[in-house]
Amino acid sequence: MDLIIINLIDGLIYGLLLFMLSSGLTLIFSMMGVLNLSHAAFYMLGAYFAYQISTITGFWVGLIVAPLIVTVLGAGVERYGLRRVHQYGHVPELIFTFGLFFVIEELVQYVWGRNMVPYNSPESLNFIALNLAGGTIPAYKIFMLLVSVAIFVTLYYVLARTRIGMIIQAALSYPKTVEALGHNVPLVFMGVFGVGTGLAGLAGVIAGPSLTTFPGMAFLLGSIVFVCVVVGGLGSLTGAFVASLLIGWLQTFAASYNIGAGDILLAMGYEYPKDVYYHPWRDLWTLTLPQIGPILPYLLLVLVLVFRPHGLFGKRES
Amino acid sequence: MVAEALKLDNVTKSFSGTEIIRGLNLGINENERHAVIGPNGAGKSTAYNLITGRYEVTSGKIFLKGQDITNLQPYEVKRKGLSRSFQITNIFPKMSVFENVRCSLLWAMDYKYSFWHLVGKQKALNESAEKIIEDLNLKERRDTLAGVLSYAEQRALEIGITIAGGSEVILLDEPTAGMSVSETEYIVGLIRKVTEGKTLVVVEHDMGVVFDLADRISVLVYGEIIATGTPIEVKENKAVQEAYLGAALEEEH
Amino acid sequence: MPSQTTSTISFSSLVPWLIAALVLCVMPFIFTGGGSITIMNQIGITIVLAMSYNMLLGQGGMLSFGHAVYMGLGGFVAVHVMNIVENQEIWLPLPLLPLVGGLVGLGFATIIGSFSTRKAGTVFAMISLGIGELIAACCIIITVFFGGEEGISGDRTMAPPTFGVEFITQKEVYFLIAFWVLISTFLMYLFTQTPVGKMANAVRDNPERAEFVGYSMRWVRYVSFCAAGFFAGIAGALFAINFEILTEQNLNLGASFTVLLATYIGGVGFFLGPIVGAILFTLLQTVIGLQTDLWALYTGVVFILMVMFMPAGLTGLFAMHIIPWQLGRIGMLIKPYSKIFIPGTIFIVGAVCLTELINHVRHHGDEEFMTLFWVEFNTRSIVPWGVFIIFTAVGFWFSRALAVEVKEAWGNATFVEGVRR
Repeated sequence: MDLIIINLIDGLIYGLLLFMLSSGLTLIFSMMGVLNLSHAAFYMLGAYFAYQISTITGFWVGLIVAPLIVTVLGAGVERYGLRRVHQYGHVPELIFTFGLFFVIEELVQYVWGRNMVPYNSPESLNFIALNLAGGTIPAYKIFMLLVSVAIFVTLYYVLARTRIGMIIQAALSYPKTVEALGHNVPLVFMGVFGVGTGLAGLAGVIAGPSLTTFPGMAFLLGSIVFVCVVVGGLGSLTGAFVASLLIGWLQTFAASYNIGAGDILLAMGYEYPKDVYYHPWRDLWTLTLPQIGPILPYLLLVLVLVFRPHGLFGKRES
Repeated sequence: MVAEALKLDNVTKSFSGTEIIRGLNLGINENERHAVIGPNGAGKSTAYNLITGRYEVTSGKIFLKGQDITNLQPYEVKRKGLSRSFQITNIFPKMSVFENVRCSLLWAMDYKYSFWHLVGKQKALNESAEKIIEDLNLKERRDTLAGVLSYAEQRALEIGITIAGGSEVILLDEPTAGMSVSETEYIVGLIRKVTEGKTLVVVEHDMGVVFDLADRISVLVYGEIIATGTPIEVKENKAVQEAYLGAALEEEH
Repeated sequence: MPSQTTSTISFSSLVPWLIAALVLCVMPFIFTGGGSITIMNQIGITIVLAMSYNMLLGQGGMLSFGHAVYMGLGGFVAVHVMNIVENQEIWLPLPLLPLVGGLVGLGFATIIGSFSTRKAGTVFAMISLGIGELIAACCIIITVFFGGEEGISGDRTMAPPTFGVEFITQKEVYFLIAFWVLISTFLMYLFTQTPVGKMANAVRDNPERAEFVGYSMRWVRYVSFCAAGFFAGIAGALFAINFEILTEQNLNLGASFTVLLATYIGGVGFFLGPIVGAILFTLLQTVIGLQTDLWALYTGVVFILMVMFMPAGLTGLFAMHIIPWQLGRIGMLIKPYSKIFIPGTIFIVGAVCLTELINHVRHHGDEEFMTLFWVEFNTRSIVPWGVFIIFTAVGFWFSRALAVEVKEAWGNATFVEGVRR
């Protein structure tokens, strides 16, 4: 029972982290129609910038400054890169962001090297917050949880209650009309792209100490984030939220229950092969749930796209 | 009784609850030139989109030469012998004029999804394509990319793509919209020439073109046909006059 | 059924192919070094793969992020078949192995394409990404087939000899690859000339109108997708023959990105584009890759710049010059081009040297000396820093100033009364 609670909390934190990326990605997609494949690279940049700042001033300054730098960078990418490629159409836009992902990954290795960097959680949060029989939850994770929740409340408030949020929502559906009303839509686009990538940067800042900061971190999380937005339905914030939590729990639970396919086969009455390492079905016998955990999201993605191409909450194309 | 070339039987269409087409009944005879007129927003283009499978109908039936074609996919409707043109030019911009026309001929000439024929070697196919380009007066533009043609030329090509499929029923959507007087003459002459012996339905705003081309006219107002008849009958119809006058008055305000 | 086919393929249309065959035959006797044959083999494989990728992206307008999957699967099966042949369980001469790879690629494309080609655009791209990740992840888990992290290996020389050739040397393998490159390229060219090949272009340009002329866009995409899978599988088997080993690296997202990169740099809108891209990309990869570990960074930056400023690729850049050539004004461009060439080169050399220098200081800081462009210097002295920064800045400044002149010359060279460009 305690293990379940711990996994629920862990999965929630992971899921909210995913949502911090997928919400920005969804906002950018629904506004500009482009799926920013370099999104996770900005998440990684957030972590590395925060690390660099933390070596000078400590964790807390990095927490504030690093996402701001990422925001500015993201806005710059929109202004000087994406806006230019936009005139060639959607496919070049996708290719551009895909290429950008690899360039940022290479740049990070160029500056900080190929190994992980020692980016750690602050001393003040290095204690155990929750002690259960099945394991522990460190205070830093609770801090991650609080930050994510705070971000969502803010995001929701801005989108639903403020004037700028209304302009954004209007520009989502009727960019031409909004422009005709005298609002600077390109500026709104740039702002949304900047804030979206900034959110990814913030996710990197708080995830860095917990999930380790290394050049592969963008790739590791990035492809899962795409799964979230596509499974949830491209352009749907609710969908991204549900899918992020779903995948967060799916992966957490899969990683912690060591059920082997062999056990199931035994239970079904099959006999364990004598020389399992030379057996043609050896993979079936040695396969465990933690092993297939990483592929579950992709499996989910393919299944959803086959049976519900517009995603769980996506709008059907007319 | 001979089946009508195209028949709409009490067709309706709603967009999120609002009925745009309300019980549309229309019968087009074979080899007839039929014009559909009506004020802006009457549902003319919507009717086309329902017939050709671009939209799904909410209720009612559509028949092509007696066959039920309700809610078929656009390519299935085309294969049954009905082609359409578009109000907003809809061509293959990055292909040459010749390729545009040849691609439109492929299915009608039964090549289907063949990857074992070389199009360059198909004599009948290429000759038909050349013939159509000649009919369109686009011979000099044969190898030009369709995307860089002038507006009138693109409209001509639009019609060329539509009739190339060899369909017996042709739907044209405002073929002369936005054209000068001389360009309109060219297009009308073209339509006459290429739809010889076919059933033609044309949506048009230019009344000169309508009375020049059509054997019969239907008037569509607010998603319903209020009158059908020969040009003279329609001209003298009270309801039509009111509807047009009313619409004209509304537009002024 | 369609009727009236004119005579068989004419001789004149075969001339370019005969020249290509001749060039392929002569190449190993011009570039005789062992290393150069290895590079040529790699180029050949990349050509087949990039061209098959262009069937999707260039001809059919489908952006795939998982094309390496079909090459990888074809290659993995090819290695297994090689091993079975070695155990003499079946009889198959090595030159026929690419056909096996092709059929495997075709088989997987038939299955996956049946649902992935339903939509184009972002949805297609995302499915290809998902499938790519899924199969790459399976590579690690299913060790029986994929061999886990180390991959699987075979021995091509154990196949029954073909006319006495056992494919022991690289040169023998070269001719096998060259043969398949020629055949595949020829077939892919013919594909573009078939009804479905033409309709692939039509669907790319305007899928909706394609449906109104009688074609289901989904089926057109599906046929192209299967064909592309077939040729990717051939490339995979050629890879298996050449390297005798396949790992997860050959079908993961990085491998797919490489295909996209090579194809795009060459130019997606042109039949010859992927060939140019494959040759250039492989040459750069092997030549520059040996010189610097920053090779991936440079390619990535070049790629991004190309997407931004030269979306038609190198072939497109070349094709652009046909217009001034036809107008007889190509001479007007020579002077501004050669003028910008000098500061341009200085800028690139300066920027590259600066990048390398920073890299050296950051990651090999303990070594005081480094060599760049055959010159050894002390990284702790201010001189190299100053020189490189000045090179970069001055080169950049002059290039920018001269770019205006180039633009103007280009405008003059292509200007025709009444024609917009």
